[in-house]
Amino acid sequence: MIKAWLRPWRDRAFQLLALAIIIAGFALSSIILLHAELEQRFAVRTAEMLGGELTLTGTRAPEPDQRELLKNKPIATVVDFSTVLVHNDELLLVSARAVDDHYPLYGQMQTAQGRFDKAQAAPQGPSPGELWVADQVLDRLNVKPGDRLAIGSKELLLSAVIRQLPDQSAGFYSMSPRIVFNAKDLASTGVLGPGTRITYRQMISGDAATIAKLQDNLDATLRPDQRLEDIENAAVRSMGPLRQLTLWANLAVLLVAMLCGATIYLATSERVARRARLAGLLRSFGAPRRQIISRLLGAEFIAILPASAAGSLLSIGLITIIHQSLDWQGSLAATGVQWLTILIAPLVLWLAFALPRLTALIRVPAIDILNQRNKAKPLSTNIELTAALGAPVLLAGFLTSSLADLGNLLVLLVVLGAGLPALLWPLLKGLDLISGKLPLASRLALRRLSRRPALTLPLLAALTMAMAVIALAGQTGNQLLDEWRSRLPEQAPNHFVLNLFEKDFQVFNQWLDKQEAVTQPLYPIVRGRLTEINGVPVSQAVTKEKENRNEALNRDLALTEAADMLASNKINSGAWHPAKNTVSVEQELADRLGLKLGDKLMFITSRGSVNTEIASLREVDWDTFEPNFYFMFAPGGLAEQDITWLTGFWLPDGDGKRLAELMMQLPHITLLDVNTLLNKANEIIGQASGATALLAVLLMIAAVLVLTAALLGGQAQRGRDNALLRTLGGDRALLYRVTWAEFITLCGSAGLAATIIIFSALYPLTAQLLNDTPTLSYWQLTPLLIGIVVASIGVLASRGALNIPALSLLRDES
Amino acid sequence: MKTPLQSEPLLQTQPLLVAESLGKTVPGPDGELTLLEGIDFTLSPGQSVAITGPSGSGKSTLLGLLAGLDTPTSGQVLLEGKPFSQLDEDGRAIRRGQLCAFVFQHFHLVNDLNALENVMLPLELKGAANPKVTASHWLERVGLEHRLKHFPSTLSGGEQQRVALARAFAVQPRLLFADEPTGSLDHANGGRIGELLFDLNRETGTALVLVTHDEQLAGRCQRHLQLEEGRLFEKPEPGPVSTKEISARDAAP
Repeated sequence: MIKAWLRPWRDRAFQLLALAIIIAGFALSSIILLHAELEQRFAVRTAEMLGGELTLTGTRAPEPDQRELLKNKPIATVVDFSTVLVHNDELLLVSARAVDDHYPLYGQMQTAQGRFDKAQAAPQGPSPGELWVADQVLDRLNVKPGDRLAIGSKELLLSAVIRQLPDQSAGFYSMSPRIVFNAKDLASTGVLGPGTRITYRQMISGDAATIAKLQDNLDATLRPDQRLEDIENAAVRSMGPLRQLTLWANLAVLLVAMLCGATIYLATSERVARRARLAGLLRSFGAPRRQIISRLLGAEFIAILPASAAGSLLSIGLITIIHQSLDWQGSLAATGVQWLTILIAPLVLWLAFALPRLTALIRVPAIDILNQRNKAKPLSTNIELTAALGAPVLLAGFLTSSLADLGNLLVLLVVLGAGLPALLWPLLKGLDLISGKLPLASRLALRRLSRRPALTLPLLAALTMAMAVIALAGQTGNQLLDEWRSRLPEQAPNHFVLNLFEKDFQVFNQWLDKQEAVTQPLYPIVRGRLTEINGVPVSQAVTKEKENRNEALNRDLALTEAADMLASNKINSGAWHPAKNTVSVEQELADRLGLKLGDKLMFITSRGSVNTEIASLREVDWDTFEPNFYFMFAPGGLAEQDITWLTGFWLPDGDGKRLAELMMQLPHITLLDVNTLLNKANEIIGQASGATALLAVLLMIAAVLVLTAALLGGQAQRGRDNALLRTLGGDRALLYRVTWAEFITLCGSAGLAATIIIFSALYPLTAQLLNDTPTLSYWQLTPLLIGIVVASIGVLASRGALNIPALSLLRDES
Repeated sequence: MKTPLQSEPLLQTQPLLVAESLGKTVPGPDGELTLLEGIDFTLSPGQSVAITGPSGSGKSTLLGLLAGLDTPTSGQVLLEGKPFSQLDEDGRAIRRGQLCAFVFQHFHLVNDLNALENVMLPLELKGAANPKVTASHWLERVGLEHRLKHFPSTLSGGEQQRVALARAFAVQPRLLFADEPTGSLDHANGGRIGELLFDLNRETGTALVLVTHDEQLAGRCQRHLQLEEGRLFEKPEPGPVSTKEISARDAAP
């Protein structure tokens, strides 16, 4: 039995076919698994931001009936409020959070043991009696871990420094440093009295069905101050760049599959040619069709199963490695349907590209044995074509979850599939016409190519597609990555300094010069609270519902003024500071508060009030590690206010001593360390970069596989021609010249066609589909590089045909 | 069998092809397998010789050795009095291209080249002047002037072999090797090709080594040799005379 399984594997054509199945299976499975992972990551990220799949927020604790509904559910409770932290008669306004033992349900907290120590993951919040504080608290109160600090009437032991909370919003709009302590200590602090502004938040975790049911039940019980938020309606950043990258990845993977399909078709043709004699023999022995189907087709199918499984297993291995290296929790995210797809995707290719060919074996007539014909009659071209065209549609369906994406993908495929032969055929004919004037070797090579259009055209098309897509996907992918990278340049600021005064500049600059730190501009900061919109108090101007969703209200905001806009910002409407007393507002905040151009705003500051008028609405890219602001005033707009300064700088991670030196000299400043966030972002960029490279490599392998399969089919003819050339007096150098000329022409034409495609047809298509303008880059040279590699591989793979002895022509080997 | 032609001028010239004690062994499952042994053979310019023998007697192997397509394990081949079999592969190929031509059983035309280009191919390899004119002339000579642009796949077997004949004679070879030239053709076509082969051979004065199963075709050669179990014998005149092993010396004209 095992022997029967292994027998086909001895044939080179079958090995090639199996390799194509493995590569296609690997590529398809990987993208499906990766897609599932990314979607889950996105959901988890949203859940991390929310703190759970569902959150119930209110200004008071939940009612008993609500508590009953939440009973026995995985739930974490936090209580957020503003309070004052006291140490040695020094006071500091802080954003306090009391957490229970279940917090956090999602994500990770990171803490450090000292001000400049490395961050470590903390599975649970502080124990009763303990307090965790943000870096700024250490700076502002001049305390260190081990000190005791008071919240209201309760003294707590400072036990760790907070580096990251999972549901911590980034940004600089809140000026109050964060502290975290155990909810069991909350009552004994005595700070929660009437008038204290408190947010109770229940974070619930659960599957979609449970959450939906709970949401329905809770909805009926909500008090006016309460609101529910789930992942769906959470305001989350769009998956824009990720979607674009996914579309390209899907196209590249689909092409890998199609190229593998071509390999499967060519290798199967060769295999059928080799098996036709056996089929004829079996027929002459009286074997019925059924027996031939089970003996030849069945054996072929069973033998291909391990290859099909191998591709999927390889991809599972790869995704598991990525899963672990990125420290993603839980098991692989693929759903049952996705696992089924992974299982059948390579077999779909086999069914579409191999089976129609293989059925020819059933129709080999016994008489062929007598007349030595042994040529299997293939199924009608229509059936083969339908199967070959149906497969990509089916696979594209496997890869995309949305009809729009599927449409885009198919449009790209049709353009490639129909446009390429139309483009390449004249090229081939042109080559044939000019070949008359070329030296013998080149002429022979060109005629080999131009006069076998059935073999050359698909091969040229395959190579052209591979080259064009590697170049375009590489370029688009890199463009996206570059964009991300530009937000995170290698020396992006990993520390921010707040509360810097003008008198500190000299000391601070001296320190920066000494460290050779990479610095950022200084931004003036004024703390202010938005109180009136067009003369109406905010509490009336903004509805309760809007306010609930808005953490920008009722707290001090960091206002700034600047002559120039930040490079990562974009004006959506209005003009950048047309007059002195104007302000530019972040678009999303403006939308939430219902602000529009021309609205008059009033802020209360420590020096009184600031009045201004909205002159522009700005789009802000919160992913950059630059300071971003909701309100940016025209220069001079904050002139009379108490100004402190904010800046960022880059220092190698973990250089605690140098930072300590700065803190000694300027003890009142606040230093923020964002290394943890920065490292995570860099890691993701690295992985995306690796994925692009892997796709390019897979495409290359697939293209080479097609070439090898095509060569395998034409090997006998090629060998005979070479032997004939030798018999007629051609030396070995001539054979090499012909072979090199053939592959250089093949790959050169493919490269030329790919370049034409890149610059003409697909270029505008990219712009339209990806909403992106492709730029010139070294990626345009990829067709050339791939051409050189593939031509060399072609010559190497043809070595066998170069060494066919001339004597073979005398033997019965025609 | 016809009496070999032994004209005076031929006697005075140097032999064109000489095989001395030629032997060929190949490794087999039970040790060395002897394919050819002690072959001595001389061919004069313009002379035609047929080699016949049962299947597996080593005809193709001998033709391969004589044409320098393969190298002997013992003995040597001389072409125009110069060592031929000792040359390296490229050396033999170039020499073969200068002096020899081939006609094969399976025609062996290049499928990607049309009739004209197929005939031009050896001329171009040789660096001959005006290959197109010469090739057209020879295709006309074999009666295919209306098929110049046809590809092998659109030609009948007989037509393909005629292209092969034109290709062989176009280079004006001193020596033509023909391996079963009628073996893939029906009787009528085979007869016509045989006729054409000997007509052209006579016209051009090319020496001919013909390997064939066709006794009638072999009978048209000046000499007829027979291979049996790797050894070469002069085919006796028809009659009850036993075969006699020949040597280079006594076979010389």
